[in-house]
Amino acid sequence: MATASNFKKDETKAELIQLVSFNLEREEYGVYVLKVREIIRMSNVTRVPNTPYYVEGVINLRGKVIPIISLRKKFALPEAETDKQTRIIVMDVDGELMGFIVDAVSEVIRISSAEIQPPPAAVNGGLDQEYLSGVINRADRLLVLLDLERVFSKAERDSLMSSAA
Amino acid sequence: MSQLCEDMELLEGFLTETTELLEKMDDDLVTLEKSPDNMELLNSIFRSIHTVKGASSFLGFELLVKITHKTEDVLNRLRKGEFQVTAEIMDVILEAVDLIKLLVNDIRNGEIVERDLDYVIDKLQPYISGNFAEATVLTQPPQDTSTAAAPVAEEASPPAGETAAAAVEPVTRPEPVSSTPTPPPAAAKPAPSKPAAGRTEELADNTTVRIDVKRLDDLMNQVGEIVLERNRILQMNVDYQTRENMVNFGDEFGKLAKRIDFVTSELQMQVLKIRMIPVEKVFKKFPRIVRNLSRDLGKEVELEIIGEETELDRSVVDEIGDPLIHLIRNALDHGLEQPEERVAAGKSRTGKVVLSATHEGNQIIISIKDDGRGIDPEKLARKAIDKGLVTEDQVAGMSQKEILDLIFLPGFSTKEKATDLSGRGVGMDVVRTNIRKLNGIIELRSEVGAGSEIILKLPLTLAIIQSLLVEVEHEVYSIPLAAVLETLKVDNSSFHYIGGQEVLKLRESVLPLMRLQRVFGVTERSEKSSQSYIVVIGVAEKRIGLIVTRLLGQQEVAIKSLGKYLAKAPGIAGSTIMGDGRVALIIDPAGVIEMDDSGGMGSWAA
Repeated sequence: MATASNFKKDETKAELIQLVSFNLEREEYGVYVLKVREIIRMSNVTRVPNTPYYVEGVINLRGKVIPIISLRKKFALPEAETDKQTRIIVMDVDGELMGFIVDAVSEVIRISSAEIQPPPAAVNGGLDQEYLSGVINRADRLLVLLDLERVFSKAERDSLMSSAA
Repeated sequence: MSQLCEDMELLEGFLTETTELLEKMDDDLVTLEKSPDNMELLNSIFRSIHTVKGASSFLGFELLVKITHKTEDVLNRLRKGEFQVTAEIMDVILEAVDLIKLLVNDIRNGEIVERDLDYVIDKLQPYISGNFAEATVLTQPPQDTSTAAAPVAEEASPPAGETAAAAVEPVTRPEPVSSTPTPPPAAAKPAPSKPAAGRTEELADNTTVRIDVKRLDDLMNQVGEIVLERNRILQMNVDYQTRENMVNFGDEFGKLAKRIDFVTSELQMQVLKIRMIPVEKVFKKFPRIVRNLSRDLGKEVELEIIGEETELDRSVVDEIGDPLIHLIRNALDHGLEQPEERVAAGKSRTGKVVLSATHEGNQIIISIKDDGRGIDPEKLARKAIDKGLVTEDQVAGMSQKEILDLIFLPGFSTKEKATDLSGRGVGMDVVRTNIRKLNGIIELRSEVGAGSEIILKLPLTLAIIQSLLVEVEHEVYSIPLAAVLETLKVDNSSFHYIGGQEVLKLRESVLPLMRLQRVFGVTERSEKSSQSYIVVIGVAEKRIGLIVTRLLGQQEVAIKSLGKYLAKAPGIAGSTIMGDGRVALIIDPAGVIEMDDSGGMGSWAA
């Protein structure tokens, strides 16, 4: 319950955090900038057979082979053609590099941690609550804060690591 | 005591050196037993144990000092010719060496365990206590095992002639020994408890490398050349940008590319060589094992080792130890007959086991051959049927070779009576699993009455491999060449179906086929042609034919991991980066064959 007084009090000790915001379908999302290693253009993805549907494949990132996840597929959004805007956000997930395909990356924004509100319970239906770490409601925009370290549920992580067969 | 352990480098050095000495000692002791008059060898053994004693005393490992000291005394008396080398003495000494190894292992694991040394010391004692003056001191070893309380246990009495090395030991015997600038630092200290926690793992055997300085120099030279070539590239780039000296640019660039190709492959070879260690590291355990086994089994065995200087990658060496032990045990236990039986069969009393290693192209071939009774296919088949592993009908349709391969099935054991050495029916299965893990091939040859031979074909290294690039419906895959037996181009009309399984009659055998696009879920795009390319791959004793769209050629590729999230993708061993920067997946032959197995059919075809 963010009453006015509460809000004010929070703000005094709230820290400033930076988010990379990106688009997927028509929604805007954000991830902590510190987790982002780099943002690259779409490159040749090699398909890896017998992996979960949202694993697009692997790419060569300067001599290192990293897995690529399609967030569209993961979020059950309709597939889209790769265009000039399409980017891969390379993130550090549990000490391993992993790339996520998004429609477009817009900017780095600064927000106060106090602005982050817990995700509304209603979202439950669409996305898995697990990696939804909050929403930021600014005058004209709504930003969904993702914790991509948890983009795989525990069960998924286990199944990935112990073979997908 | 902490300052002792702070010096991890010292400790690591000690562990490396001691482990090496002990490994060599095993081998030497067994050799000594065969040639008891070899004074040189005896002296060398004596020096080794003395070195271990000196070093452990310096570092304050009192249990070690105690046991090495006793062993040294026995050896010393042997050296002076007071006893003859007999099997009994050897048993005791070998037991002592085993105990020493155990203690060294404790230190490596960072846990000093109070172990009971007395049972070995009691056995050594009769050989020590005798007439000599110095031995009298040793007749009253302190009985308390709590080493923490006892400052370096017995009054160590380094044997005469070794005074120089004795410098690090507290010396209390009357004999004048040049006092040393080194105070006996370790002597008064209680046994060190744990070497800094967390370091224990890294202390494992193969984590440090000793490299021939010459190889290192060669490597440096190669790097020097690479630097030169890099400068050349930079220069050419400047030329290109400024459009100067452009006359021979194309030619120059071509030459440069060739030189870089040459230098990098040289560099690659050097680095690979540095990772190589002689297979001797594994082989030298065997004389000891064979000796013990043959004594336990009451058989007379001669072990011949050929090609122990053959080098292969560390990662491979680490993995082949266990399978080889199994195979040697099998050869001794199942293969060779009792001496009487051998004589009755018109063979020499002493059985022979030959362990050999050779290079063949990019592979190493290890063979274990015995001149025992061989494997009787009929008996083997009967056994497999009794165990319910196969049916009579299946056996009826099998070739001799296929029947022999039944031995690799899990849960198979032919010996009527399982001994504690082998025969629990896990051996060959373990061997196969290990060899598969290394992308190796295993073959079994046998002749009833004349003996059997097991041949392991292993890749030289696991980091860079020769591979066959194939195209499957526009996707490129790389198949480790070590697993590729041959490639064929055949007419689709020659395919047959057996119970829904596509097979090909290849010479004398029936080869199960697998369409890669099906197992890998590749969308089929190209139109059907009447002919197909087939890559025959073999893993351990299994063979299978992969149907691919096109063969692209052979290439040396560096293996890249797929990362922990995709590492377990079935049928995929890893990936590699092609010349154009794309990623190509490396097929895991063992995994692919397994996928076929789980499909239900084809598991029998070999």
